[in-house]
Amino acid sequence: MSVMAQAAQPAYDYDLKNAVSSNRLAGLWTMATGYHWRYLAATASLAVGASAKTATYLLLRHFVDNVLGKEGALLALILIALAFLGLAVVEGSFTFMSGRLAAYTAEGVAKRLRNYMYDHIQRLTFSYHDRMQTGELIQRSTSDVDAVRRFFADQALGIGRIVLLFVINFVVISRLSMRLALLSVIVIPVVVVTSYIFFKRISRAYEKYQDQEATLSTVLQENLSGVRVVKAFARQAYERDKFEKENAEKYKRGRNLMMSHAFFWPVSDILCGAQMLFGYMMGALMAISGEISVGTYLAYAGLLVWIIFPMRNLGRLIVQASTGMVSYRRVIDVISQDREPLDEGICPHGPVKGDIDFRFVAFGYDPTQPVLNNINLSVAAGQSVALLGSTGSGKTTLVNLLPRFYEYTDGSIKLDGVELSDYSRVYLRSQIGIVEQEPFLFAKSIKENIRLGVDRPVTDEEVITAAKAAAIHDTIMTFPDGYETLVGEKGVTLSGGQKQRVAIARTLLKNPRILILDDSTSSVDTETEAEIRAALDRLMEGRTTFIIAHRVQSLMNADQIVVLDSGKIIQHGDHETLLAQEGLYRQIYDLQARVEEELQQELAVTA
Amino acid sequence: MADDYELEEEDFTAQFNVGTFRRILRLVKPHWRWVAGFLFTIAWVSILDAVFTFLSKRIIDEGIIARNASVLSEIIVLYGGLMLLQAVGVFFFIYLAGVLGERVQYDLRKKLFDHLQTLSFSYFSKTPVGWIMSRVTSDSERIAQLVTWGMLDVTWAIVNIITSMVFMARLNWRLSLIVLATIPVLLVVAVYFKTKILAQFRISRKLNSKITGEFNQNITGVRVVKGLGREEANLRAFDHLTGDMRRASYRAAWLSALFLPAVQIISAFAIGAVVLYSGMSANVAGMTVGSLQAFVSYVTFMMWPIQDMARVYSEMQQAIASAERTFSLLDATPEVADGKGARHTPTIRGEIEFDHVDFYYEPDKPVLTDFSLKVKPGETIALVGPTGGGKSTIVNLVCRFYEPKSGSVKIHGQDYRDFTLHSIHSRIGVVLQTPHLFSGTIRENIRYGRLKASDEEVEEAARIAGAHEFITKLESKYKAEVGEGGNRLSVGQKQLISLARAVLANPEVLVMDEATSSVDTVTEALIQKGMDQVMEGRTSFVIAHRLSTIKRADRILVIEGGRIMEQGSHADLLRLGGKYYRLYTQQFRQQRTAQYATPELDFIIA
Repeated sequence: MSVMAQAAQPAYDYDLKNAVSSNRLAGLWTMATGYHWRYLAATASLAVGASAKTATYLLLRHFVDNVLGKEGALLALILIALAFLGLAVVEGSFTFMSGRLAAYTAEGVAKRLRNYMYDHIQRLTFSYHDRMQTGELIQRSTSDVDAVRRFFADQALGIGRIVLLFVINFVVISRLSMRLALLSVIVIPVVVVTSYIFFKRISRAYEKYQDQEATLSTVLQENLSGVRVVKAFARQAYERDKFEKENAEKYKRGRNLMMSHAFFWPVSDILCGAQMLFGYMMGALMAISGEISVGTYLAYAGLLVWIIFPMRNLGRLIVQASTGMVSYRRVIDVISQDREPLDEGICPHGPVKGDIDFRFVAFGYDPTQPVLNNINLSVAAGQSVALLGSTGSGKTTLVNLLPRFYEYTDGSIKLDGVELSDYSRVYLRSQIGIVEQEPFLFAKSIKENIRLGVDRPVTDEEVITAAKAAAIHDTIMTFPDGYETLVGEKGVTLSGGQKQRVAIARTLLKNPRILILDDSTSSVDTETEAEIRAALDRLMEGRTTFIIAHRVQSLMNADQIVVLDSGKIIQHGDHETLLAQEGLYRQIYDLQARVEEELQQELAVTA
Repeated sequence: MADDYELEEEDFTAQFNVGTFRRILRLVKPHWRWVAGFLFTIAWVSILDAVFTFLSKRIIDEGIIARNASVLSEIIVLYGGLMLLQAVGVFFFIYLAGVLGERVQYDLRKKLFDHLQTLSFSYFSKTPVGWIMSRVTSDSERIAQLVTWGMLDVTWAIVNIITSMVFMARLNWRLSLIVLATIPVLLVVAVYFKTKILAQFRISRKLNSKITGEFNQNITGVRVVKGLGREEANLRAFDHLTGDMRRASYRAAWLSALFLPAVQIISAFAIGAVVLYSGMSANVAGMTVGSLQAFVSYVTFMMWPIQDMARVYSEMQQAIASAERTFSLLDATPEVADGKGARHTPTIRGEIEFDHVDFYYEPDKPVLTDFSLKVKPGETIALVGPTGGGKSTIVNLVCRFYEPKSGSVKIHGQDYRDFTLHSIHSRIGVVLQTPHLFSGTIRENIRYGRLKASDEEVEEAARIAGAHEFITKLESKYKAEVGEGGNRLSVGQKQLISLARAVLANPEVLVMDEATSSVDTVTEALIQKGMDQVMEGRTSFVIAHRLSTIKRADRILVIEGGRIMEQGSHADLLRLGGKYYRLYTQQFRQQRTAQYATPELDFIIA
């Protein structure tokens, strides 16, 4: 089939399973495979840029000590001016190169991660999706991926920059004077520790502030969406008080946050400033005593700033980088889950016939609690089977086994005489069409939604033919944009029945040999009901069909009827057979007659 | 949801509108001392920065070159003292601007929320919740930022540039002219870069929300994705999106990375010129080594605010756009409000009359035309008919959520516009088809009906409504949290609680939109019983879906196209054999089947 023919290139260039590691830094490094040299080059550029900055100060020293004020040094002067410019250009271009390379790495890794997560999630098993909440998965795929991106783009490089600035400038100062160098870093451990503690606190306070923002939004949102209730009970004053309470709490938390900032920055200013001033004084005293030259003092005074003040940010970057590493954990948790092997198994060329044979089939989501037990059922190609039973009786689970959404745990299912689990999932799913009770449509145009099931070019005529057969064409034509109308939030909202007919058109176009239908259409008026029924009949023609039945009509027309209870088949046969038996089926059948009778009585009494 | 609105509006930046700006300033007027405080302290901090550079010059010239250790220590002491004073300044400007920012946000949110409580129904039906939420949350934040950090940035920039220029001119006015010449170049470069960078950021932010949407869709629809074998095709489409995202973010990132070096290289030209000039004239023009150093510092110093101006400007534009939208909300006037001389009424018991009422939501689409109806006190009116026929409009008018466009609604013979809204609303009980609960406990939700009710009264109301039984089965009983919008409870349970709420309110007139679906038979019976209790002895309007309500109603109105097509008692209308007859027989079949349906018979018969 065409689905199989295209072995598309995966849209990510590296299998991130390799980045699963208990060492978070090692894992992050593996994630960037293919970008390693660029990232190292970014770091190296950073070092060159920082060195050029340092060299500027050394040039200043040379200028002041050897050139300034000397007669006839015009040439030297011009050279020095050019050298200043040259160093600025070197510093600038390497800083730029480093930023560019880091961004290239970060954005590349982010794209790789996004694609991988996207693909990975759609290939994870149903049992995993059952367990995980949508919001949680989305958060891991978006904000956690972004945190990893920032780790590469800002934090890792930012920490590298501060360390490099420190090392290079410290080495240079120590070459100018060892004593000065040692005297210049006394306060640094204090600054780093203070800033680390501070930013840790700040990130907690900020979280609390954000939580309150969420609470406030909830109050607001509930007030707005419940405006009828608020007005009807005339509770405006009460609502004001409620909002006021949360609003004031947010103000309080914001104020606390600001207070922390208002303390940290001046305190760290004083710490760093005192160190700087102390360095100035020692340097100046040494210059006065002639121990160092004036130029050396100037260079020192310039370099000093670059080893002290960046340290204030080290704490912040470390705190942020640690959130990046937490995000790595959360992302890798998802990545380390096993995918459904879609292509594993046989993949015949033609379509299946559709003979299905269940033998002693059992299944349980949790092995100790079987949901299906001892299922025996033979369906010939083209036959229809109606499944009947209460919620939780196992009818949905039974049909979920066919496309291998779940794997049966015991017994055997044969499709055209071949064990179902020997077929590849891709192949099976290309052979099975599913129309759900409230089908999921994508936020695309109606046309695209109908075309979704086939991976080949489809003409507009084909789409229209399918839509007509599904009795949805006329409805589509009433929309201003016809088949191009967007579905969902930004487009039209379709009713349950309309969605179902779009899904029928989609399935008609897909043209599968096996069909799974959920035929309940709750609260649609009689006219649409008849239309849907007709569309469904057209769809079922010549296909092996499993119907999760909610209607007597589906039952009566089915070739086989299966009544399920607690995962077991309790009644099985065709309409006549079951009608002759005591049991659920007859109860349902009798019900119709009984209701009609009661209606007549009711009318007679009133009249 | 709120994000979408922000994204759409981000493109829109308002021109600098003096009127809007003045109105923004009025927001901080009550706190003008704070504003004056942080403006003063930031100027103080900025001036001290310039002074420090000057002191560094003195260390070199008067200390080191003059070889005078005592002057040196004097300068160091002065430097240290001023540094402490600057730290105090830093503390105050962060504190004042930061806390004021929170305060302005608080004020604005309060103002907006209070105003929202007065607006009429019509406003909410045409304004999306997300739009309003964005005004109250992100817009109020942007406006607060403008009047605090925005003003602070501008003041800092101005003071910084002026003091730098003054000090430079004092050191050497010719050199300062050279520096001055580079400023326009810098500004042009800064604006050019920032516009480009911001544009890329905007693109990437839009793409980001699309990517989130894609994830959301693919995860919620994973069953269909798998069933249709869409994995590869989806990934291919998604790859386009992430590819675009990567391009835009990469472009934004490297443009940002280019920006600072570009500015630095331009300032290097200025510095190079200074060095060249001063080298030639170090002795002649009296430029000392210290002055030279100071000069270079001042140049770098000045670059900071200049490269930042483009950002500040674009943020200001956005804040003004935010303010315009926010003010439009504040300027909205309630359509339904107390008229002049509206008076309180102690009771609205009595005959309710629609007297030749015309009503429409949009002028060219009349909903009710010349509609008249008299309802006796204590009467139960059932409204039936197709969606859009006018049933909801009638009850909206009874509740005075809307008022007639012409004609009038009379209570006890008097136009209800003569009474205050509060005196009407506080005597009407409303039970909605989709019950709305607020986050909080069950008790708080029931007590919403009457805030002063005791715990016993709350429980009594729950008993009457038939909610007590399920509540006591919950682990924390009346203290159970209902979750956001009540989402921890089933629809049926929410319905029972909203009934209890109405019971507690003890209203004189009751308006109900019956729940139709998603309720099991037991709960449905409970709700039915509760409703009968509540309606007892009260004038009731019920948008009816249930046979029992319809049958027991004193009068049934079949509403279609804004007109009463049929009216009368159940028996009358059945005899008539018209629309009601068809409706009733159809419903009878459906409901009776549902009634017989046990869990084993979970289906509908067509």
